[in-house]
Amino acid sequence: MNSARAMSKVWAQQSAFNRIVTFSTKATQHAAAAVSSAGAEPPGEEKTSATPPAAAQPPTPTPTPVRKPIVPSNYRFIYPEFLPDPKVEWRNPIREKLERLDMLDRRRQIDLPEFYVGSIMAVTSSDPHAAGKTSRFVGICINRDRCGLRARFVLRNVIDHQGMEVVYELYDPTIQKVEVLRLEKRLDDNLFYLRDALPEFSTFDENMEAEHLEEGAPVPVNDIKVVLRPRPWLERWERQNLRGVANIDQYIKDKHRKSAEKVQKPWEKYDLMKQYRSTIPEEEQKEVFAEVHTELHSLELQRKRNKRKRTFVKPKQLA
Amino acid sequence: MIQSVVFQLSRLRLGSCIVPSPQVRCKGYLSRPRLRNPYWNLRKERTNTEDFVTAENQHFVNELVYDKYGTPALIKSIQAHANKFIQTYDPEDGIRPWSPHTRRCGVIARKIGQYPLWLKNGKKVRTTLLQIADNHVIKYMPHEECRPQKNLSRVHNSNQYGCLLVGAESTNPSMLTKEYCGIFRDAGVVPKKNIMRFMVSPDGALAPGTPLNISRFRVGEYVDVRGKTVDHGFQGVVKRHGYKGMPASHGVTKTHRRPGNIGGGGEKGRVWPGTKMPGHMGNRWRVLKGLRIWRTNAKYNVMWVQGSSVPGPTGGLVYIYDTILPLRKLKQAPPFPTFCGEVDTTFEDIWYEQMHKFKDETIIYKCD
Repeated sequence: MNSARAMSKVWAQQSAFNRIVTFSTKATQHAAAAVSSAGAEPPGEEKTSATPPAAAQPPTPTPTPVRKPIVPSNYRFIYPEFLPDPKVEWRNPIREKLERLDMLDRRRQIDLPEFYVGSIMAVTSSDPHAAGKTSRFVGICINRDRCGLRARFVLRNVIDHQGMEVVYELYDPTIQKVEVLRLEKRLDDNLFYLRDALPEFSTFDENMEAEHLEEGAPVPVNDIKVVLRPRPWLERWERQNLRGVANIDQYIKDKHRKSAEKVQKPWEKYDLMKQYRSTIPEEEQKEVFAEVHTELHSLELQRKRNKRKRTFVKPKQLA
Repeated sequence: MIQSVVFQLSRLRLGSCIVPSPQVRCKGYLSRPRLRNPYWNLRKERTNTEDFVTAENQHFVNELVYDKYGTPALIKSIQAHANKFIQTYDPEDGIRPWSPHTRRCGVIARKIGQYPLWLKNGKKVRTTLLQIADNHVIKYMPHEECRPQKNLSRVHNSNQYGCLLVGAESTNPSMLTKEYCGIFRDAGVVPKKNIMRFMVSPDGALAPGTPLNISRFRVGEYVDVRGKTVDHGFQGVVKRHGYKGMPASHGVTKTHRRPGNIGGGGEKGRVWPGTKMPGHMGNRWRVLKGLRIWRTNAKYNVMWVQGSSVPGPTGGLVYIYDTILPLRKLKQAPPFPTFCGEVDTTFEDIWYEQMHKFKDETIIYKCD
């Protein structure tokens, strides 16, 4: 991982250098301001890193201290959709920037809270076909994917003995309200196996009250183990190394076990390049969040203020 | 007949100059080049020889270049030169009369990505973002000068269209060949990476050095976008034509992705022309017509255009024209021949009226 990071840093510097080869200071500032998402570190830093012995000398005139916003390290989990698709062919700094601006514009209109796969949520959305033109759906978030304005999540619930799933787009302007009723994580990255589990594991009360977490407390991980129904299944769960399933061994035979072993790729976790290609490098993440941090932070503060107001007005015994 | 004509010709030639034995080749009319390469179709890149130039000399060369063309700068997030040489074009340009039969110049753009927008009725629209890439007019050639093809028997240029050369994306001239840079010499424009010609009606002519930007397009109008599709290489029938292939098992051998039967027997016992077969896929010029402009951004020269199937990869070059579809053609006079005047970059995005802006409030349907 370290080597990959180092490499990515070198790349970032190179790309920064390629993009900001300018010969007047004004243009440099302009470039740095314009292409902040292109892997551009400030040129001052570049100089110091290029000449390590010179950097060690104390009398080097340090440039005016640039106040960098301190971005919390957990932002990439709270706001994963702000990170662009890591596929190199699809990336473009200007598109990403415009997309981020649009996302922030939408976030100023609606409070999109922190949530994870496994959280229980309620989404109120405008629906031209519903009675009263709004519909509210409560369910467990079983998947969260895509990035930018395309970001979406799937809610699942069992209503009248019938499993229901609704795909919501996070930035769809018809969404009126997103509430997180219980903020928690599960053991797996997605919970599609709930489709093959007993219905009580994906049944949630529609009139559930929101449970409040203490401020600053880590998000709890619910280590519940789900009980699967017997075969046939929608997917071959035995091949997916699921941690949140209790009785998978009960239903698989030797032939399943053998074929599952065949498709395992235990070496992939050591594949640094694979990891590098499928993620946005840390340096670029920092740039992305440095751009949107102040806005997101102020929105968070506003949300907290509103929440406090609500809790003081209506104190209630929590379940 | 042909022979005799050739003979006569050869005699004529003999009379005028000394040609010992003129070659007589039959069927010369078949190999006559139909297409004449335009004069700007030159070799672009210089061979990079190692010149062992010292840093000081290199600096000096750069200085010369910047003195002539201006310093490189990021203009609207595109690497360009702060152009010293833009000629002040006629202010009269903007007030030329427009009629539905006139044709405007197109622009060169880059496809920079795609993402959804929403309408005010809650419907999602997939859009592609096209960024106009530092365009400047290089030259106008009237109808008499520009004859794109030698054989004009089939292509009638009855509209008397002239030809407008437009370049996109300034670059360092020391990377280019001398001949290629010569194209730009009279225009007073920094040499550009990409050149394209656009056929325009005579009153759509523009002065060299005129910048083309997003302000010449208005939201709600339709454009045609031309580009080269993604090159997939030689592909089989499943990928190229969407055939289903055959099952992976159940006794199927060696025919999993093959086309199956390609022709009948008897009287029609041959492969008919146009049969779908494996072959090269992509890397062709395609025009996507009648795409509505949903939104424009003057700061970055970006337009959001309907659809997510604009030909070419992300980052590829595309050419944007006013649409030729009869029902979607321009109805009101656009900025003709182009927009002239200062572009207000601080101005916010311009949205089509049916579009939901992200700054607007959540869409709520009214109860009847």
